[in-house]
Amino acid sequence: MSTRRLVLFILLHVVIIVGAIVMFFPFLWTIITSITPGASLTSTPALIPANPSLGAYGRLFTERPFGQVILNSILLAAITTVVQLVTSSTAAYAFSRLPFRGRTLVFGLYLATMMIPLQVLIVPLFVELKTFGLIDSYLGALLPTFASAFGIFLLRQAINQVPVELDEAATLDGAGHFRTFWSIIVPNIRPALATLVVFSFMSSWNSFLWPLIVLRSPELQTLPIALAGLQGQYISDWDVIMAGSVVSVLPILAIYIFAQRYVVQGVASSGIK
Amino acid sequence: MTTVRVGRRRTKTKYALTVLAFLLPSAIPLLLFVLGPMVAALWVSLTKWNLLSPAQFVGLDNYVKLLSDPTTGAVFLHTLYYIAGYLPLVYIGGLALALALNTALKGRAFLRGIYFLPVVTSWIVVALVWRWLLSPSTGIVNVVLGWIGIHGPGWWTDPAWAMPSIILASSWKDLGFVMVILLAGLQAIPTDMYDAAKVDGAGWWRRLFSVTLPLLSPSTFFVIVISLINGFQVFDQVYAMTGGGPNGASEVVVEQIYDLTFRYGRAGDASALSWMLFIVILAVTLIQVRGQRRWVNYG
Amino acid sequence: MNRKILAAIGVVGVAALAMTGCASNSGSTSGKVTITYSNFISNGGNEANLAKIVTAFEKANPNITVKVKTLPYASYDEAQQTDLAAGTSADVFDIDGASNYGVYEENGVLAPLTSVPSSLYNKALLDTYATGGKQYGLPTSFSDVVLFYNKDLFDKAGVSYPTSSWTWKDETAAALKLTDQAAGVWGDHQPVTYNEFYKTLVQNGASFLNKAGTKVAFNTPAGLAAAKWLVDKSGTTMPTIADGQGTADFDTNLFKAGKLAMLHTGIWEFGAFADTPANWDIAEEPGSTQHANAVFSNGIGVSATSKNKDAAEKWAIYMSSSTEMVNVRLDSGWELPTISDTKKLNTYLDKGKPTHRQVVFDAAKTIAPAPSIGDNQSAMQDDITNELIEAQAGRETVQQALDNAEQKINALLKQ
Repeated sequence: MSTRRLVLFILLHVVIIVGAIVMFFPFLWTIITSITPGASLTSTPALIPANPSLGAYGRLFTERPFGQVILNSILLAAITTVVQLVTSSTAAYAFSRLPFRGRTLVFGLYLATMMIPLQVLIVPLFVELKTFGLIDSYLGALLPTFASAFGIFLLRQAINQVPVELDEAATLDGAGHFRTFWSIIVPNIRPALATLVVFSFMSSWNSFLWPLIVLRSPELQTLPIALAGLQGQYISDWDVIMAGSVVSVLPILAIYIFAQRYVVQGVASSGIK
Repeated sequence: MTTVRVGRRRTKTKYALTVLAFLLPSAIPLLLFVLGPMVAALWVSLTKWNLLSPAQFVGLDNYVKLLSDPTTGAVFLHTLYYIAGYLPLVYIGGLALALALNTALKGRAFLRGIYFLPVVTSWIVVALVWRWLLSPSTGIVNVVLGWIGIHGPGWWTDPAWAMPSIILASSWKDLGFVMVILLAGLQAIPTDMYDAAKVDGAGWWRRLFSVTLPLLSPSTFFVIVISLINGFQVFDQVYAMTGGGPNGASEVVVEQIYDLTFRYGRAGDASALSWMLFIVILAVTLIQVRGQRRWVNYG
Repeated sequence: MNRKILAAIGVVGVAALAMTGCASNSGSTSGKVTITYSNFISNGGNEANLAKIVTAFEKANPNITVKVKTLPYASYDEAQQTDLAAGTSADVFDIDGASNYGVYEENGVLAPLTSVPSSLYNKALLDTYATGGKQYGLPTSFSDVVLFYNKDLFDKAGVSYPTSSWTWKDETAAALKLTDQAAGVWGDHQPVTYNEFYKTLVQNGASFLNKAGTKVAFNTPAGLAAAKWLVDKSGTTMPTIADGQGTADFDTNLFKAGKLAMLHTGIWEFGAFADTPANWDIAEEPGSTQHANAVFSNGIGVSATSKNKDAAEKWAIYMSSSTEMVNVRLDSGWELPTISDTKKLNTYLDKGKPTHRQVVFDAAKTIAPAPSIGDNQSAMQDDITNELIEAQAGRETVQQALDNAEQKINALLKQ
């Protein structure tokens, strides 16, 4: 290695590592603040807290219904995930394996819904769910998340990769489409399914606008809503707000660490045509 | 003869039913909760309605009113400001990181993991954490700036700095996302392309501009399309960080839709604004898809 | 894996069924009813006081349970409006003053109250919650904004305490002497908001709207002086926005920390300031050409869609007129009850800090009426506040701010 390349090599490492520290610092600062009692608008916490305390966490669970809130988040994310697995994989199978007239058009229509963000639908959705009497219920929060164009797109790509010969062999054995789907396709697209699981769970866990509108009672609320509420309730108690942030990040972080491969693969594969 | 025809018809019907069975689980929610509401929004946009008293039909009044209201222009402008600040930042930052991590770097997977961490964090957490980091008097950013003799700005409390604060926080969150997409694109570029360029005596920058970027264009295209669609819908971090303030300096389109509906009781105007936003997103996306032939290289 | 997925789907199915069931469970079983009460008045320090009143009510009415939902003042209106639109409103809910009452009443979301013991209430306030001879809401409390001051800081700077004969000039002179930026001590604090502005206008002989309420009337020399009175403190005797001024709690925390000599705020802070070590007291706000005070009344109403209107009305009446409520409010220094029997209020005067509680009643004698314009009320309030803040931050002149606000609000009034 020439000196010049060595210098470049070291420089690159230094920049990347310093960058990583800068990227990680906000998380560290969040944790530090959360264990510094009385961290407020009038004082900046020290890097190493003099009197660390978990008091702020205690307040989350005693003064606010954070235990219930966490359960709500888990319940909603789990249901969204399972339902999206079903709706996405069946649709993806149809678009990949079941030719019918106008399929391209229907598929195009499905993809076009990706361009219609929920944000532009809040008024009619609100009125619709009010008519169904589903405002302020879990189901009201869930229904609009039941189909995911992204999931269908992702799984269709995966099913396209499964050799058609496998289906044909099954058909020769007398299997219908449901059998083929269940025993040939599903087992062969497990990595893509895993990616979808992680994505659905994450997006439900983090979703904000719709739950904010539809979940009215404090005991039905999910973490992001409760967190945004903390800001109104504990305006200058940054230790409590940061403790709430830590609590809401930890579960998703755990999932990310276990499923990192699928997350990164999912993002990466969505970018390649 | 007849039995065969009936049988064929029966298999045809059966096939159609099978297709339906596979499509309905997704088609019903999409119809009920996306396309239906989309049409309903069009109707609401023609009414004056505060969601409490009965709606009154007012024709195109809401559109006329919105188009002549300077606030409408302002919220679109703020949204564009957000995109214009955010997109170059995450793209150039993400590209630099992807290029660096695409070399033989020690602990690459770990570093990639660190850079990706903010991606899985919710927008609300990102907004709250950055609100605290950028707190004007006691936030760590201004404290550190103070050490080196810089008097930090008022960040989210100052109209001139509110949007930059949001852009900064958003870029921090999405940098890793862009990096991973571009990294995947980079890894798909065959190494012999670089070898050929090297033989031709092309330096690092030459190779970047004549090999890497053209071959990376599909990934770049994807990043831009997604960033624009998401950029026009920006809401969560604005709501939690500035609430659109101070004095509406960071009020974006979706925040305005929300405020009109639930704060000012103007659901008709909100729906009209929703449709305007949808048309803008549609137009921008179509222009990009049309324009991609000129610069996107699918090799 | 297959079996696991099946099991998961089963769980989801059961959960979905269970959920539709638990969406509405506010029915009545065996004569017992649960009513919900959504409020902002107890937020930020009075939660325990409200709980005391609830307990007393439940004891007196064993078949009624009150479920309380407390929201921060800043997000209350938006949340309540959304709930009303969604049909998920609490049975009983707070009404933030007479202007909001008007909006609610017009849209028919309030149930008429039929068994109100009218004689127990202050008549003038009770009438603000009646329309067409029917009572649609009840006043729960009244409060006013006064001048809080830190005696220790006044003593240290050798400045004499504020009196009712003070004018703006005296306040400014004192504030300048009291400000010691090096020590982080500020002389004065007055929020730059709509609520302060409409009052200062009257203090200077101007008014927010014209008599007919059809046009803005604040863009006059007297109005400009009033706006300047609010805006110009920032940076000289009051912290700037960059210092954190304007964020909620900033001013009260500064006062509690003994770093603020004078503070314009409401008497609802008595409880929150009770434990601060500093010696503090209150005085009537200085005027310019005359005294004028912002008096706020909070109200309470029953939702037109409530399934338990009778129980809900009982609670609304209890919360606004019962002896237990009066006692809790007086003991804790919470906002004052709006009862007709003012003799009951006498004990309030000697309940400890602050000493000059008489000021609370004196201030209520000269009221600056709040402008009320119906549906666009929140938009109007936001517009004037935002423009004043622009001027405060120095991005506009005060005159430009008033010009802009006049244009925006006149447009709202035309709608």
